[in-house]
Order: sequence, then structure tokens, then C-alpha cells
Amino acid sequence: MRRLRAIPRRNSFGRIAAACIASLVLYVTAFGLVLDHPLSLGFLRQQIDVKVALGAAVGGPKLVVLAGSNGPYSHRCTVIARLLHMPCINGGVAVGIGLDYLFARWERVLHPGDIVYLPMEEAQYVRGRVETDVGPDAAIMLRHDWRTLARLAPDRWAGAIFSTDLRDALMAPIEMALVAGDFHDPREAVTGGTDAWGDHTGHTAAMAVANAAELAAAQPYHPDAAKIGAGYGSTLIAAFLDWARAHDVRAIGGLPTGFADSPPSDASIDAIRVVYLSHGADFLELPNRSLYPRVAFFDTPSHLNETWQRIHSVAVADGLVALLRRTVSLREPPLSLRVGHRPAAADPP
Amino acid sequence: MLFQTPAFLLGFLPVCLAGFFACGRLGRHNAALAWMVAASTFFYGWWNPRLVPLLAGSIAVNYMVGGRILHCARANRPAAARRWLIAGIAFNLGLLGWFKYADFLLHIAVPDAAPLDIFLPLAISFFTFQQIMFLVDTARHQYDAPDPLTYAAFVSFFPHLIAGPIVRPRDIIPQLRSSMLSTPLAANLADGLLVLLLGLAKKLVLADTFGGFADIGFDAAAHGASLSFVEAWYAVLAYSLQIYFDFSAYSDMAIGLARMLNVRFPLNFNSPYQARNIAEFWRRWHITLGMFLRDYVYVPLGGSRQGELRRAINLFGTMLLCGLWHGAAWRFVLWGGLHGMFLVCNANCRVTLPRAAAQTLTLFAVIVAWVPFRAATPDATLTMLRGMAGLNGIALPQMIVHAVPLLDRIATPVPLLPWLGDARTLSFPEVSACLLLGWFIVLALPHVHELSDRARHWALTAGFAFSVQAMFFAPHVAPFLYFRF
Repeated sequence: MRRLRAIPRRNSFGRIAAACIASLVLYVTAFGLVLDHPLSLGFLRQQIDVKVALGAAVGGPKLVVLAGSNGPYSHRCTVIARLLHMPCINGGVAVGIGLDYLFARWERVLHPGDIVYLPMEEAQYVRGRVETDVGPDAAIMLRHDWRTLARLAPDRWAGAIFSTDLRDALMAPIEMALVAGDFHDPREAVTGGTDAWGDHTGHTAAMAVANAAELAAAQPYHPDAAKIGAGYGSTLIAAFLDWARAHDVRAIGGLPTGFADSPPSDASIDAIRVVYLSHGADFLELPNRSLYPRVAFFDTPSHLNETWQRIHSVAVADGLVALLRRTVSLREPPLSLRVGHRPAAADPP
Repeated sequence: MLFQTPAFLLGFLPVCLAGFFACGRLGRHNAALAWMVAASTFFYGWWNPRLVPLLAGSIAVNYMVGGRILHCARANRPAAARRWLIAGIAFNLGLLGWFKYADFLLHIAVPDAAPLDIFLPLAISFFTFQQIMFLVDTARHQYDAPDPLTYAAFVSFFPHLIAGPIVRPRDIIPQLRSSMLSTPLAANLADGLLVLLLGLAKKLVLADTFGGFADIGFDAAAHGASLSFVEAWYAVLAYSLQIYFDFSAYSDMAIGLARMLNVRFPLNFNSPYQARNIAEFWRRWHITLGMFLRDYVYVPLGGSRQGELRRAINLFGTMLLCGLWHGAAWRFVLWGGLHGMFLVCNANCRVTLPRAAAQTLTLFAVIVAWVPFRAATPDATLTMLRGMAGLNGIALPQMIVHAVPLLDRIATPVPLLPWLGDARTLSFPEVSACLLLGWFIVLALPHVHELSDRARHWALTAGFAFSVQAMFFAPHVAPFLYFRF
């Protein structure tokens, strides 16, 4: 019988404990203080920081669109602002960003009279606590934003400290080296960029042709109503709605964009609606339930292409106008905040 | 209960160790064994308590048959002993056949028949082989009959109950009878703990990382996606690492757990991907299963004693059986058949290759054979093989082609590779870096049991924090691959 080789008797619990403690200290030091992800997380961080800073700079009532990437890809604040006569900031970044982190950042710059529109992706409602604890924002907070981290629940602190897995650990020095070597980020050429109001731009129908096969095969994720109702994400959204109501910020729920040939069930939509209505918020449901043919999309069911982003934004703006007309006095935005594009030429047919 | 979960490591294991050694402190060897059997039964019943009677019944029947074999042998009645041996083996194979192969055989005999949907009891492949080994060794007079408690402890011993190693009764039963068994020995506890923690890191940090990469590619193939050259190769390379790290991690953890309980298990993996021929691979991969197949199937079939043709038939048949043991599906049979073919070719090969070439060829054969083993369907296997052959084209991320313009001649630049990692812009360097690390570990480094004491502690320092991260903060816990076999 082949056995373990004879092990010297130098092993002891003390040495094992020392190795374990050293491992933890090195880990926390490396990923909390030294290593970073300037490309992957840096991109997200930069997006969040810029959008929140814009939110802080805008005076007077404003509309903020908060969601994952469905916000910037499928909604055009430049269009909505023009129709609402109200400055609009597209605050969404990506589904992986923890909702508690997103809300914590935005709560600091929301004021009485502001409006928040939340066309959250279905996955946001059911995203679990564990996934949230170690999402990309956890590493961002640990490395760059202790102030927000301190405001969140203690489980988020632990999640932030232990948010780096093997893949992240290997990529950190690679990303840092790429940035140090003037790496040219190809994302803008492939997917478009972001304008001053946080809208994603340049994701044209022509560019979407490269994703046609992927889009044709894509199977949208539709959690059932029970999961939505009991989801951790729903709990976080509800807490934010309560905060908004307490601070005279008007919250309005909405549906994310999706494929018309693969809609969520009525029960799921009802469950989403209940999350908002049961916490004193409004809910905007467009006649088409934000569903569009697959040709309208860029690369995923959450991302309309630029043409349809404008169409959808007009529909959302019309819906918001109707909803707000009853309670909010709409007024022209200050000249400095008006969107400087030519609507007639840019609007979709 | 999974070895890598907090419930096992922070709940079951401390209680099990404390009870076991408390019995030892009281000088009650049998009480310690009874505690171990009870703990192992709890461990087994954690998944499904209704399966405990099956395990208990199997142990009872095999113990009784073993006793009869020994009785007949001592009474100088070899024919009767042989009849009892055949009955015992038939019982075990019948049990295994019913639970594991009934649907498979029914589908072969009557393709349109409704499946029986028989629930596969956990670990049945392992405890069945373990007990066949006991019966055969008993018939070969390799040891005295153990008492029922020792026998029950030998079969149900939780470190090896679910996925091996498949241990020889003559190696383990004397250890279970040792008067020192339940005496806490600091050296064994520390050594066992160290190996256990290294195995834990291997599973949680390495195996599960590569499993994620492999699943994306193989799942895409199963859904009819067309994988390009890089996507297919990366998925297969990742799976090759996943299955090695996963199973060798389980074996390491089993060895460590047994060591903590003063039992020494045999080595089950010995850097198999460093093998220079396929026969050597099987002397390094799942060593205890290879030993079982050699001593209890191949040699009794005649081994190499009856000419080249018979040897080839025996080799091929043994490996088909090996494939079938892994699961009741044609893909496992195909995998076993491929390895049988490789072994036959190797046995008849008269060419001596340079070391590097021999190792590369062996590794290539092993990796290609993993494709049908992992792919969900024959179509998925073909999809993967087509991709690996470059028949679906060679695509690389634009950023790579942009950085190395020479690649433009062989690869089509694409924005993203949809079936590689998370299909993000940086997925290609991310998966590449992980694969490089994984293959460096398996090809260039000694395995855990060959490492020096100092190197083991450095390895623990490198991996422990990531283990904590994966155990408490990873969204998903992946079970060991061999649990399903």
C-alpha cells in the first residue's frame, strides 16, 4: 500500500495556526491596500462616481433613473429630460452592483422633490444576500469607499473583506500592469460609450448585428412571483422606498425592457408592482410592458439598441408625465442643465 | 454532508473527534468504534436517512457471507466457500446493478420503455466495491474475520464512505483493531488537519474555479452552441483541471480526516498528468480504483498470462468496466473504451519517445478522452471535438489581436468570446491566467504528499484565506464530482 510519506514531527497546531493567520493578513493587506482592478472595477467605480457627482451638482428637483445596465442602455435621460422639463441623470450601472450600495450612494444626493424611476431588472429582485455581499461593489468599497461601507450592514463588511477570489487575485496584477502599459480599453469601440448624463450611447443597431446570433438564442431569465416577493433584492428596494417616502423623494417603479416573445408572467409583474405600491411608491407600466422585438436589442434583453432606447425613453417620459402631472409641478430645467443635443435629428422614427 | 461545508468542518467533525477520543480516554476501544459507526451513519444519513437501511443491510449481508466463506474455508470445504463467494459477489453486483444500471439496461433492451427512475443511493459504487474486495480477500485467506463492529466501522468509515479511496481490508481493519486507535495523537491530528486544509483549498479554490469555466463551455455545447477553437480547448483544459483537483482534493481530505482519527489511507493520486504513458497514468490516477480493477478484474480474467490477444481483450474489457463503474451512460463506456484502446496501443507500442513528447502525447490522449466523459450528449461531444479541431474557426478577442497583430493571420478578431468565462472583455486574460496557474501546479509541482513540511505550510498560507473566502462568501457550493459516481 502506498502511503503518505513520513511527515516530520515538526507539524504542530501552532504552525498551522500561524500559516492560517499569515494567509488572512496577507490577503486583507493585498486586496484591501495594495492590489486593485483598475479596468474591470475601475470602470464601474468611475461610472458610479461620475453619476453621483452629477447628481450632487444638479440643483433643484431632478429625475434619477436607478437600475442595473437596463438604466443606461435602454433609457435616454437626454430624451426624458426634454419631455419632462426636468434634469435627468441616468444612475444605473450594472446588475452586479449591490442595490444597498447603489442606494447608499444616491441617498446622499437626493433631496425632497426629486424623483427616482426604478426600472429594475428582474434579477435584481431575487439577487441573494451572499451574491450581494461579494458583488463588485464590495471590492470597490474595500479599496476606495470605506465611507459608504461603514454605512452598510456588518455582513457587508465581511463580504467586502473577503470579496476577492482566485480569479480576481490573478487579474489584479494583470489589470494594473495593463493600465501601467497604457492599455487601450476596447470597450467603447465594441459597445459604445456614456454621455454626460449617464446614458449609454453609440450602441447602434448596426453595431448590434455582431450580436445577432447571441440575441436570437438568448433565453431571458424570469424569476417567478414567489421568488420576487421573497427576494433579498425586493427587501433592499422596499427599504429604499421607505427611505424615499420619509425624505419626500418620489419613487416610481417600472419594468425593465425585455423580449416581446418571452415576456415575464402576469404574476411576476404583479409581484414587482406590489414591491412598489406596498411601500408608498408609484408604478409605471407602459402599454407594451416595456417589451420589444429582438431586433430592437443590442446584446441582451436589458439592452435596447440606441434607436429603440430613444423610442422607449419617449414612452417612459410620456408615462412619467401622465403620472406626475397629478402631483408634481413640472417646470423648465435651468438653462445650464438643458441637454445640448438636437432632438429632431436624433430622435428615432 | 459535504466535506467542504461549514456544517461538516465546524459542526460534525469537532463533535465526531471529541466523542471518539473521549471514548478512547475512557479506555473503551469498542465504544470508540461504535461512536465512529454512529457518526458515519449520521454522516451518510444526512443526505437521505431512508438510505441508511440500505447501507446497514449491505454491511450485514456481506459480513454474514464473509463469515460463511471463512467458516467453509476453515472446514476445508473450498467448493462451498466458492459458492458463498459467488453468492456474495452476485448480491453486491445485483444491488449495484438494480440501483445504478437497471434503467440503462432497460433502455438498451427496450428503447421505448418508460424509465424506472430508480434513485441512485449515494456511495453505492464505493461501498459495493469495498465489500466485494472484502469477500474476495476473505476467500483468499488474507486475514482473520473481523468482529461485526470493526467490519461496520471499516465499511462505513466516513472519510472514505462516499468517494473512496477504495481501501484494502487487510490494510485498514488491523488499524481499526489497534489499541491506539482512539488515543489522541497530536502529531496525527496536526498532520491530518494540515492535509485536510490543503485538500479544502484544492477543492474550493482550484477545482471550483475551473469547474465554472468548464461548465460554461460544455453547457453551451449541450445547448447546441458552436464553440470556436479557443473556447472549446479552454473548456476541456479547465475540465481536466477541475476533475483532477476535485477528486484529488477529496482524496486528500479523506486522507487527512483518517489521519486525524489515527488511520492511514493509501495515496490515491500521484501527479497523474505528469505520466509519460497511459499505463503510468493509471498507476497515478485514482490509484485505489486502478488497484481494484487490476487485482480483482484484470488478473482474474487472465491478465497478461494468456498471450497478447487475450491481454488486449482483458485490458479493454477491464477499462470498459471502469467506464461503466463511473456511471450508467454510453459516454462513460466510451471514455472507458478510449482508455482501454490507449492501454492496448501502449502495451503493443515499440516506439520510445523523448520524455517531453511522451508526456505531451499521454496528456493529449487523456484530455481528449475527458470530452465524452463530461459532455452531456454525443452531439455535445462532437461539438466540442469539432471546436477543438478548429472546424468552427479560430476566434480571439479584438484586444488580443490588436496587441499581437501576427494573430490576425490565424484568428478572427471578435468583440467577445461568448462561451469563455463570463464573456467579458477581460475574460480571455482571466481564464488564460487561471489555466496557466492550474497547469503549472499539476505539471511542474509535486503533489501535496510529496511537498516538504515547509512547502506545505507555505501552500496553506497561499490558500487558506481563499478557502475561507470560498467557503463563506462564494454564492454556490459545488459538490464533489465523484459523489455522483
